[in-house]
Amino acid sequence: MNKTLLLLLFFLGSFAAKENQFIARQGQISFFSYTSVENIEAKNNQVLSFLDIDKKEIAISMLMRAFVFKKDLMYEHFNESYIESDIFPKASFLGKIIDFNPLEEEQTKMVFGKLTIHGISKEVEIKSTIKNTNGNYSISGDFEVMVKDFDIKIPPVLASNIAKSISIKFNFKYQPYED
Amino acid sequence: MCVFYFARPLFVNSPKNIENSASEVAIHSDELVFNFISDEEKYNKLYAGKIIEVVGFVKEISYLNNTNTVILYSKNGTSGVICDILPNQKEKIESLKTHQKIKVKGICKGFLKDVILLNCYIDLQPNE
Repeated sequence: MNKTLLLLLFFLGSFAAKENQFIARQGQISFFSYTSVENIEAKNNQVLSFLDIDKKEIAISMLMRAFVFKKDLMYEHFNESYIESDIFPKASFLGKIIDFNPLEEEQTKMVFGKLTIHGISKEVEIKSTIKNTNGNYSISGDFEVMVKDFDIKIPPVLASNIAKSISIKFNFKYQPYED
Repeated sequence: MCVFYFARPLFVNSPKNIENSASEVAIHSDELVFNFISDEEKYNKLYAGKIIEVVGFVKEISYLNNTNTVILYSKNGTSGVICDILPNQKEKIESLKTHQKIKVKGICKGFLKDVILLNCYIDLQPNE
């Protein structure tokens, strides 16, 4: 079993009651870089996430190569030069939802946790909207990350093309987890 | 630098070139998932970024996030193969039924709980 999956299952406590665990195999994460030179946008529709409503914990893992760009060259620069996907193929997030009430239909809560990109981990807090529609959960929100926080090196000649702060949006629709 | 870019294969993110490109690997979904579960690092090097052809049985068809997705069964628990299907395959995907045997060609991106394939073409096969 792969290390990421083991980590996610360990984080959620694989021996906990399954009815409190939910999975999203096709979560969506997009990022945006806005500069006066060019705008860069990429989307990943195959992000994995687990939600444990008892422990109020969320775990996310994604393949960096699964981000889709409008231009092939952007994809190549992102994977080969900036993120170095051969060395760091995945990004992950492990966090706790503060004051989460699983019974509420809609709530906006802060999620505190550790975001790992390019092999660098940072503590982050993310404002998230959590919906419970007849026991089916969804979580969405957006936040910003600084490129320099994750040791991503942009060549000086391209520095004006890449924003220092990247906007990230996420949307996960969960189903009951059965393993 | 220019030579470098022209020499690079340009199909990495470009659906139109995948349709007419030969696959580098042909494999059953059971074996593909088993390989990644047994040694993810090894099989990432073998499959990730390559055009692969996967034969398997349809477990689920999804239109989540305005995408067309087919998930193939594997014998390895709840893990399977998530195939993100190109928009021009809409007619084929609408004709699919669960448990139907199909062949899918796409770019392997790696493994999470499932193997992820993007820019996929569907080749319908008769049920066995």
